[in-house]
Amino acid sequence: MNLGGALETFKYIFQRVFIALVVVSGATFLLSLLIQLLPGDPAVMAVPNAMPDRVALMRKDMGLDRGVLGFFWKWYTDMWQGNFGNQYSNNDTISVTVLLKRALPTTLLIILYVQIVALVVSVPLGLISAYREGSRFDRYLQTTLFSLSSIPSFALALILVLICAVRFDWFPVLGYVSPTENFGEHLKGMVLPVLSLAVGITASYTRLLRTDVIATLKDDYIMMANSKGISKSRVLWRHVLRASSTTLLTSAALNMGGLVGGTIITEILFNLPGLGYQIAFAIASRQVISLMSFIAVTAAFYVFFNTMVDVIANIVDPRTRERRV
Amino acid sequence: MFKNFLKKPIGFKLSALWLFAVLFITVTYDLFPFAQWDAISDFSQGDGPFKVPGHILGTSYDGMDMFTATMHGARMSTFVAVVSVIIGGGIGSGLGIAAAYYRGTFDKVMSSIFNMILAIPNLVMSLALISVLANGNSNEPASDFRRVLVLTISLTIVIIPILGRIARSSTLQWSSREFVLASKSIGTKNLEIIRRHIIPNVAPAILAIGFFAVGVVMIAEGSLSILGIGVPGGASWGSLLAIGRANLEYSPHEVYIPVACIGFTVISTNYFGDYIRANLDKRESKI
Amino acid sequence: MSKVLEVTDLSITFDTPRGNLRAVNDATITLDQGESIGVVGESGSGKTVLSRAIMGLLPGTATRTGSIKYMGKEISNLPEKELRELWGTGMAMIFQDPMTTLNPVRRIGAQLTESLTVRLKLSKKEAHEQAIELLRRVRIADPEGMMRKFPYQLSGGMRQRIMIAIAVSCKPELLFADEPTTALDVTVQAQVLELLSELRKEFNMAMILVTHDLGVVAGHTDKIAVMYAGDVVEMAPTRELFKNMKMPYTEALLKSIPRLETPTGTRLPVIEGRLPDPTKNEPGCPFANRCPYVADKCRAEKPPLKDTGTGHLYRCWFPIGGEK
Repeated sequence: MNLGGALETFKYIFQRVFIALVVVSGATFLLSLLIQLLPGDPAVMAVPNAMPDRVALMRKDMGLDRGVLGFFWKWYTDMWQGNFGNQYSNNDTISVTVLLKRALPTTLLIILYVQIVALVVSVPLGLISAYREGSRFDRYLQTTLFSLSSIPSFALALILVLICAVRFDWFPVLGYVSPTENFGEHLKGMVLPVLSLAVGITASYTRLLRTDVIATLKDDYIMMANSKGISKSRVLWRHVLRASSTTLLTSAALNMGGLVGGTIITEILFNLPGLGYQIAFAIASRQVISLMSFIAVTAAFYVFFNTMVDVIANIVDPRTRERRV
Repeated sequence: MFKNFLKKPIGFKLSALWLFAVLFITVTYDLFPFAQWDAISDFSQGDGPFKVPGHILGTSYDGMDMFTATMHGARMSTFVAVVSVIIGGGIGSGLGIAAAYYRGTFDKVMSSIFNMILAIPNLVMSLALISVLANGNSNEPASDFRRVLVLTISLTIVIIPILGRIARSSTLQWSSREFVLASKSIGTKNLEIIRRHIIPNVAPAILAIGFFAVGVVMIAEGSLSILGIGVPGGASWGSLLAIGRANLEYSPHEVYIPVACIGFTVISTNYFGDYIRANLDKRESKI
Repeated sequence: MSKVLEVTDLSITFDTPRGNLRAVNDATITLDQGESIGVVGESGSGKTVLSRAIMGLLPGTATRTGSIKYMGKEISNLPEKELRELWGTGMAMIFQDPMTTLNPVRRIGAQLTESLTVRLKLSKKEAHEQAIELLRRVRIADPEGMMRKFPYQLSGGMRQRIMIAIAVSCKPELLFADEPTTALDVTVQAQVLELLSELRKEFNMAMILVTHDLGVVAGHTDKIAVMYAGDVVEMAPTRELFKNMKMPYTEALLKSIPRLETPTGTRLPVIEGRLPDPTKNEPGCPFANRCPYVADKCRAEKPPLKDTGTGHLYRCWFPIGGEK
């Protein structure tokens, strides 16, 4: 790559990261305004029967004594330093940072598994379906996939629990085993939650890849590649998939962000101690500040993944550069 | 029109029938001589569908008639979904069209606000709004009415940027077309151009995403109920589902009836969204 | 001289929703080693379909009858796998639009060396050297730098040179050039045509040059086949064709080319009317409705392909200059 191109790419990455920071900061600011809109006092809500002096202490700790902008600024700058606030109970104060460290790996593992399953299944399915466009196989697959992609993941989760756990006792539903503790049990416990999330995503990836491959197969350069006399499979891997994979990867990475939100329900339904579980707990115990911190982290992840996708797609796929020129 | 309908694909017919049935029940529920939907039966508790006379879909573990409860739940679920999509879609499209048509600072501000709201996954967003707005405090919990109102408002806010962004990009695409420029050049007023040239062309795209949005709201309503902050007391499908979850082992139909209702509705609305979009692409390719 | 290509009575129909579309009717073409033929006709005349059909690149909706012999061997009924063995090394094709025929996500080097490593089994290093040589041959100024570029960084003329380099990389016996210059600027057109002619002579390739522009083929081919509505309507050695034109259609085509000596402001003659509907099989000469010399017989009966005996064939009841 020549120097001008590298500089151009660097400038682009810088721009994207800057925009991402602005979006996350903006979202955080909106959230902080939301907290201020609250009809009650967050400190009183978190610990309803606290003594007045503890309430005052908590208010100071949360930054509620600093006014609308002051509150935001304290919360925001603290987060940059890795301090996400505290969760309060009757006689205890837990740092949200600690909770996050405990919860994030679980959530990220679920997302990772879901992505692996979805990609492994959808790539061959999408390719076969595209190569047999209009065949009976293709038509049935399309109908099935359409329905599957529309079913909410919680519906699937409940059905799976009903069939696999309650009726037949195939997989454990309750409890989470960490992978370092017992990897086999860990995977076993992950089957149902991952499946419930992966089905819909697999369906949408397959549909996406199919559409893209069909379009790519009609492109002139595929006929050109064929006319070189190279084998059909080489055309498929080197030319078709290479061109179509960016769309798929883009959407996969975009889903990363969506999944951070999507795992919430799954974690609750399957009792997995991830970010979603923490969010639910924060709601139930009215821990407004920690709830907002969790949400801010989720949003940051979401934006981070989206930005990464754009940047990587930009480096990998020269077509996006062409569009910019 | 009926002949036309018969020519449509089977998916179209099924989706249309389902959505029509749901809407019909939503509107006419009061006219039926149903029992009080949350009345408790003394004789049947947790029986499955088609087992006890008088309870076609069986009863819940607490003795509630599932058929009546499902009909009643349709009303609340549809109300929340349709109202939030219509209001949120209206506001979002209006802002999106205006932003794209007038460009400039307004556009920049609007699209960055849309992006900021969209940066938060929609479930998390509605969760944050509801937990803040509908919590009340522990001494005086929020009333049922307030919770439904807040739920609807929150989902409306979630919908605004989704449709706003679609309306914006679609308007951008159309407002540079020749007939718009031509209309401008002969001095037609901006509002007139928007009304006559932009809206008719942008509407199908918005309608398609609007159908998808109904699905999004339905799913969000169900999810929020599972989290315990949706519609209270089994008054919607999501709410029935949340109650039924506790009795999953004893009366599974309590879960799969509302799950099926939500599933069918989402599939149907997605089908229509897809259908409109496919026709739209066909039209585009003809131009 | 041996025959590279013998096409006999080749017909192609497409199965379309509107019915069977006859794209090519009973085409017969032969090519000697190193010989070049220009296939000329307006859009929709079947010239592109003809060239793709010979190579075997048609979609599944096409039905093909007739015989195609390559180097004396019948290839019209070969399974695709064996046909692929011929592509690239025996027959290669240059496509019309260089903007879309290069894979946008792969570097020029990768696309150029692909045939060399996969088909000629060269090592990576040999393939690289050969590719550089090819790039130099098609007059790319900085071959090393070009190998690392992506298609979007190149102009249309550059891309078409790369296409040519890819097509000739395995030294095929027969080169198809499908409107190779249509998408290019006029100034670049001449250079690309000149380059093609040079390479053809150097590698002793036979070439089928498909174009709508009679001017393009004039200086670069040994013979010319004029196509109209799927029929070969006139075929002759290039010099003979321009000297002794028989078909009113060929004449009309020639007249529609702008010339330097025509005074400015003169309206260019156009061929009035349109091609007949290829899904309908109407009697009579397909050109009858647009022909300035049309007579009753033309509308009633389709003329056969006549041979003057000197290798000049035409399909007309009332040829220009009379029979013979």
